[in-house]
This record gives sequence, structure tokens and C-alpha cells, in this order.
Amino acid sequence: MLFNKRTERYFVWVFFPLALLMPLFLEQNTFYVSKLTTVMIFAIFVMSLDYLVGRCGLITLGHAMFYGLGGYIFVMIAPEYEAVNFWIYTFYICAIAAAVALVIGFLVLRTSGIYMIMITLAFAQMAYYFFSDSLDFGGNDGVFIYVKPDTSIFGLSLFDLENPVHFYYLCLLSLFNTLFFFRLVTRSRFGRVIDSIHENPGRTTALGYNIFLFRLMAYTLASALGAYAGYLFTLQYGFVNPSMLAWTTSGSALVMSILGGIGTLYGAILGTLVYEGLHFSLEHLTEHWLLFMGALIILMVILFKNGIAGYLENLLERR
Amino acid sequence: MENNKKFLRTLLAAAVTTTLCSQALADNAEPIKVGVMLPFSGIYAALGDAGRNGLKLALQEHADDLHGRQIEFIEMDTEAKPEKAPEIASSLLDQHHSDFIIGPVHSGVAMGMIKVLKDKDTIMIIPNAGANAATGPLCAPNIFRTSFSMWQPSYPMGRVALDSAYKRVVTMSWNYGAGRESLEAFEEAFTAGGGKIVKQIMVPFPKTEFQSYLSEIGSINPDAVFVFFAGGGAVKFVKDYDALGLKGKIPLLGSGFLTEGTTSAQGPSAEGIRTTLHYADGLDNEVNTKFRQDYRQMFGKEADIYAVQGYDAGLLIAKAVDKLGGDISDRAALIKAMESTKLLSPRGEVSFSKAHNPIQNIYLREVVDGVNKVMDVPAAKLEDPARGCKL
Amino acid sequence: MTTSLFFVQLINGLQYGLLLFLIASGLTLVFGVMGILNLAHGSMYMVGAYLAWYFVQQTDSFTLSALISAIIALLIGIVVERTLIQRLYRRNHLDQVLLTIGMIFVFNALQSILWGNDPLGVQVPEAMSAAIPLTEVVEYPVYRIFVALVCVAIAAVMYFMINRTRLGMLIRAGESNREMVECLGIDISRLYTIVFAIGVMLAAVAGVIAAPMSSIVPGMGEHVLIACFVVVVIGGMGSIKGAFIGALLVGLVDTFASVLLPQLSSMMIYILMAFILLIKPQGLFSS
Repeated sequence: MLFNKRTERYFVWVFFPLALLMPLFLEQNTFYVSKLTTVMIFAIFVMSLDYLVGRCGLITLGHAMFYGLGGYIFVMIAPEYEAVNFWIYTFYICAIAAAVALVIGFLVLRTSGIYMIMITLAFAQMAYYFFSDSLDFGGNDGVFIYVKPDTSIFGLSLFDLENPVHFYYLCLLSLFNTLFFFRLVTRSRFGRVIDSIHENPGRTTALGYNIFLFRLMAYTLASALGAYAGYLFTLQYGFVNPSMLAWTTSGSALVMSILGGIGTLYGAILGTLVYEGLHFSLEHLTEHWLLFMGALIILMVILFKNGIAGYLENLLERR
Repeated sequence: MENNKKFLRTLLAAAVTTTLCSQALADNAEPIKVGVMLPFSGIYAALGDAGRNGLKLALQEHADDLHGRQIEFIEMDTEAKPEKAPEIASSLLDQHHSDFIIGPVHSGVAMGMIKVLKDKDTIMIIPNAGANAATGPLCAPNIFRTSFSMWQPSYPMGRVALDSAYKRVVTMSWNYGAGRESLEAFEEAFTAGGGKIVKQIMVPFPKTEFQSYLSEIGSINPDAVFVFFAGGGAVKFVKDYDALGLKGKIPLLGSGFLTEGTTSAQGPSAEGIRTTLHYADGLDNEVNTKFRQDYRQMFGKEADIYAVQGYDAGLLIAKAVDKLGGDISDRAALIKAMESTKLLSPRGEVSFSKAHNPIQNIYLREVVDGVNKVMDVPAAKLEDPARGCKL
Repeated sequence: MTTSLFFVQLINGLQYGLLLFLIASGLTLVFGVMGILNLAHGSMYMVGAYLAWYFVQQTDSFTLSALISAIIALLIGIVVERTLIQRLYRRNHLDQVLLTIGMIFVFNALQSILWGNDPLGVQVPEAMSAAIPLTEVVEYPVYRIFVALVCVAIAAVMYFMINRTRLGMLIRAGESNREMVECLGIDISRLYTIVFAIGVMLAAVAGVIAAPMSSIVPGMGEHVLIACFVVVVIGGMGSIKGAFIGALLVGLVDTFASVLLPQLSSMMIYILMAFILLIKPQGLFSS
């Protein structure tokens, strides 16, 4: 079985069908559809970070660099007034992001712990300032995308990206695929080596594995997926901005993945949902939403030792 | 312990669900919905607060113009984050069906807003963000601005600098859209009259360590320095300029934001600084005096340009609603009514250009005893050239 | 660049670096001794600045305000350590990150509620408002020299404390081997409380003395946080000496880069850090 934890199966069987049916209930209200879309897109990003931090043990504060790159690469390579093919450009963007990740990973993965956090942060900051100071890419105010890609395969048009409901389904599909894909990876031989590296790098090296290479592969994979999320985010409203690369974006994603339950992968979806949900409702209740947000986060860290997924697993996995 | 955790969690879930549901239920057709997207937290929070205060003051004072209709405010905190802009704007548009959407402070957020709201069924009124593009290449019939374009307050200072016989000037600002546009406008006017920009210093945004740049200016020793800084950066810059001894030796000129809402924090360092802006707290006219008094009474603090711009947004809404007798369902008619409105603003009379940017006086101010006193009017009824706008 | 300009920029860089050291020293101390990564450290800098402003308003005396603010910061440190930080000792770094981020939110919200969002300013105390002329145009404020001296003094006190006092010995021991210290009968939790409170107080004191030179605005804590981390990582986590050298390096590089390489200046400190980490992956003076 792919989803071997009971809690995870419950989550998948509850969340995805609900999400599938959601637009039918919310037909008149495209706002909620769009809001959920944004949350799902960020959940993809958070999941890719969760894989890196939770499964591989590579803590990075620079992951948002790839999120931003997803959008900026599109701006750089796509013609301004022409609709390109969504699938082909997905490939291009992931490929370019992976190439960048290979280079950065090569430099960054020699360090560990707090030093890795800082050096990944450094690269992200450099990328941030590069785009923020640049006049060609809109600088600090960002840049628009005027024409959204077309999603036809062999002439058969699948999703109309201008339609919020279609875009919602595309993102939902992407989210499911990402979870599915990461599950496949963690269950594969590659994934088991990664787990072994995480648990005991010394022993794994002694067994003859080149842990640097495996980590580099994992880093590249996660970064390419992070870029895909950024690409989706950009396409939603057609707007790219250097703040996507900011360390605060990486920080938020880290918060959501820890909140959800680090390393559980489906926890990333939970964490993003809860965090964004809390933010949304608190904002509507009081002007001082930040105070309650902070207090709730502190409480959750103290009470839920393994994140929300950890708490749920505690409840449901007992014999 | 287990029970505590469970209880807390259930409580939390219940709270979240209830609030989410309450969002879906709250909705009625009668009141005029005014969506407000401004920063209420973070570095621009003071500007967001002032804008909202001004807006509410205007709509309260002119409630009679609304022909019996109530105003429903929907306020959302942008945190001055451009990446949240499209989401918040679409919330105000699609979820709350706002008739008017007032915002933002930050130009990056404005870009995100415009992307979503341009040509849609709502009226967007910008109460601060000065990005030239909003009433330039990105102009649209449903986008209005009651503040300024970055070009407007800075352009006349070029003339002032020439008249003061300055030949060599150093310009300085943050390296972002607003900063660049402001310095470009000054340069345009200044160099047209034979002046020379000896150096343009662009500080990475939002860095506020100015010592090295100021030391360099001291070394260059130009006739004057023209800057654009606002908020906290303006406070630090003015204090550092004084502390390093440049004040009094090299005249400091600025776009008015340098001394807006910042003079009490700047203290004696602000004295004597000359700036150009479309408003001055020391402006001596009836509307301004009454406005400042009412604002002080209602909010317990002094009004500034951000409050005035918010106030004028409220005025614009009130006047337009009045012209249409309370029925704003015909958006085309609403836009026409707004276009032809002349506002009796605390800053003087304001009308709107074809690109929906204010046509207004620019005042030359000097800080005297912590107040910006009007010295002259270097540009009356100045209209932004709206380069690239197709309206 | 003329020699006089070079000299001025040198002083600028050193003074900026010294202030960075004061802020960063608390961070590295706490991490080195307790293994706690306190992201809310920048918030304490902010709290110091706001408290300074508030008490100057109330008492009209900068010195009195500085003293009261330092004491309050110490108390805040003790309370926070006892109630929140204590729970993190057996948890991993990530939980610390999450908790301290929650603290940042709370501090920022409290700042907005208590003191509002307008930019605030504190005037330089009368006694130090003079300036020393350096060139015909530029003069150097005495207050900045005072700040630099205070930072050096505090650095000296810290050196003395860590290397020559019993508390310092306990700190150094706790840094190397916590369990052993506990086995030797030392109340390690009280030691931790003291260390955390000192660390937090150092940041707040930096905020207080920097207040007359800066603008007091929302978000000023996050602004210094990154620079702080860069300093601490360059110097080596846990090393006060490293933080000192690292801070001076960052101050000098940032100052000179801003005028010599303006296009790259925003990235310069990160390039510096990346460069140092590639040669010495544990920082310059790691413990």
C-alpha cells in the first residue's frame, strides 16, 4: 500500500474528495475557490520543503528562491503576448530550476546544521536582491504576465486557465500528484537510502553509498517541485514579485510544515490549511490578529509535539 | 493533559468553522460597500492607519450626500506585501462585491491590485501609491487616484533648485520604483534648465544605514542634495544628515514625504528643510483648518498627507454618490460623475485628469517649528503627463 | 576615494560593526551555551528601542530611561525563559524556530498595541550632542563615538566575565558538556535562565543606545535579525570572539561595498558569508 499510515489514508480519503466537490458547493463564490487554489499551491511548495527538511534532514531557509524562480523563469522565457503550451513550459521551468538547484546544491550541501540554513538563506537573499534591483524584471514592484498558457495536448484543450474553477482542478490534481509522487519516492529504493542517510549518515557511507550525490538528487527534486508551485502561483493572478523569493516566504513555509508535522508529507497540506485558515478567520475577527496568531502558534508548538499530523496519528494509530 | 489538548483543539476547530461560516452568511444589498485594503501592520502601518482615518472622517462628515445609504467598510490588512495583493483584491471584489475598493499605500501592492481589478465591476481609488504606471500605461476607466503620481511632487523642485542657483546636485533614494520615478522627475526639470546631477545614489531598499552614503556626499560637496525617503527611512535620513554635519552646509531638498508625519520624530534636525508636495500641514485655508481640527479631535493625533489623501477618497465617493442621487448601479455613469468631480480638499481644489490622476497645486514648504509652512506655489494645477495612458 | 573619505568610511564601518556585535553577542551566547536558536532576538532589539522612547517621554532623562529599559528587558528575559524556552531544551531546532517565530508575532502585535505604528524618535542626550569636525564639510557625532565605546566596553566586560569569573566558567563548561555540569551538581536550569536573560538584555541595550541614531518603526527587529545571523555564522556559532570579529568584518564590508560596488552592495554581506563558509564551514572561530 502506498499510504501505509492509517491517519494518512484517512486524510487522503477525506480531503481529496471534499476538495473535488468543493467548487460545486461554492459555485457562486469564485473567491473561495481562488483562495483554496492559492492555499493548495502553497501546500505543494510546503510539501517539497517538508520532504527536504523532514525526510532528508536538510534544513534550508532558502527554498523560496525556487518558488520565486518558478515565476521569474516563466517571465524570462515566455513571449509576452503569446499563449504558450502549459505542459511544455512546465517541463522547461522544472528543468531550468533543477539545473540551478544542481549548482546551488553542489555548493550548499557540503555544510550542515545551522550553517546550511544560513548559506541557503544567503543564496536566496542574493536572488532576491538580484530581482529586486533589476530593472529588466520589474524590480521591486514586480511584473505582470499578460497571457496565460494554453493547456492543450495534441490540440485537445483540457483546462482554461482563465477560469478559476478549471485552474482550481488543475492545482488540486497537481497537489495530489505531488503527494503521490513523494510517496512513491519515499517507498522507492532511492527513498530508503535517503531515510538511511537521515538516520545515520556515517553508517550509510560505510555501506558504500555516496551520500552527497543522493542528497543532491533529493535537493534538485524538491527544488524543481518548489519551482512548479511558484509557476502555478504566478499563473493564478499573472503577477510576479520579488517577495516570492524573500526569506520570510521560506520562513512561512517552514512554519507550516513544522505545524503540520515535519516529515509526514501529508502534514504539509494540513499545516498549510490550518495556518492559512487561522490567518483568514482571525483577520476577519480582530485587527490584532497577529497577537492571536503568535499565541496560537506558541501553544501549538508546546502542545503538539509532532505537529498536527503527529497529534492525529497519536489518536488514530493506537492499537 | 490529553483532555486539555483535545479540548483546546476542539475549541479551536469550532472557532475556525464558525468564523468561516459567518463569512458566507454575512451579505446584504442595501449599503454601499467600501473595501479598504491598506497596511495595518508592518512598516507602513502608520500610513495605512492615517488613510483609513481620513476616509472614515470624510464619509462621516458627508453622510448626507449619500442619500440615505449606509456605508459598509470591509477592511483587510495588506501588510504591504505585494504577493498578497491579488488575493485580497479578489476577495474584496468577488467575495464582498465591493462597490469601491480603496488602496493601497505601497506601489508593489498597487500593481497586484490593478492586475486583478482593472476593467472589473468596481471602482478602485488609490489613496497613496504613486507609481506612475497606475495613471500611465496601466490606466483604466475604473481606476482613480486621489494622491499623486511620483512625478508630480518632485518635478517642480527642479525649477526651485534652478531658481536657487544650484548647479551641481546629488540625488539619493531607495532603489525601487517610487524612488527612481521621483529622482527622474527632479532630474527632468533640473537638467532642462542647465543643472547637472553630479551623482545619483541608489540605496538598496529598505536599507537605512546611510552613514557611508552621507560621508560620500560630504566628500563630493555639491550645491544641494535632493532626496526621496518616506516614513522611518525619512526620520533616520534627516537625523543622520544633521548628525554628520551636512545640515547647514549643503542644502537639503526633498520630495515632501521626507517631512510628512515625521517631524516630531526628527526633532530639530528637520528645521529649515525645503520640500515640495501637494499638501502642507501649515496650509492656510478654511477646509484645511477645519479638517485638521476635526481629525485631531477624532483621532487624537495630527493629520498628514496620508490622511488627506484618504479623506479625499471619501470625499470623492460622497460627491459622486450625491451626483447620482444615491444610485451607483450604473458603473459608467458613476465613472463619469467621478471624472467631473471637483474636490474641495484640505490641499486646495482638486480635479481629475483624463488618466484619473489629481490635478493639483504643488507647494514649496519649509519646516518651521516642526510644521511645514508654505513658502510658495512653484506649480499650480499641475497635471501629470500620464505618459503611456490611452484614456 | 580620497584619504580623508577613506578614513571617514573606516570609522563608519567600525562603528556599525561594533553595534552589530552588541546585538549579535546575545544571540551567539544563547546558542552557544543553551543550543537555542532565538529568532525573536531582533524583537528584543526593537523592544529596547521602544522602551527607551517610552521612558524618555516619561522621565526626560536618557540615562534613567536606559537603566529602566535594561532592567525590564532582563525581567522579560527571565519570564520568557521560565515559561516558554524551558520547554524547548529537549526538542529539536525546528521546534525552536517555530516557537520563536510565534514570539516575533506576539512582540510585533504588542508593539503595535502599546506604542502605535508611527515612526518615533529619541533625541541624542544634550551632553553628547556635539560633533568633531573631520573634513571641511563632514563632522563626526560624539554620540556615535560614545556608542562605539560602550560596545567595546561591553565586549571587554563579557570577555572578563567569561574568562575570569565563576559564572563565565560555568558558561564555558555548559557550552562543552551540559550533562557533565549537571552531574557536578550545578543547577543548570538557573544558569540557563541567567544566560538567556543576559542575552536578551544585550539586544535590548543595543536597541536603547542605538535609539537616538535610528528611527523607531514597526519591523525594525526583523531588519537587524538577518545581519545578526550573518555575523554569528561568520564568527562561528557560540563564539563571542567570533561574533566580535565577524561583526567588524560585516560592518566594514557593508560600508565600503555600498560606495565602491553599489550594484552588488545589497548582496555583499551574503557573498562574504558564503565565501567564508566555503573555506571554513564552521565559521571563523567555532567552539
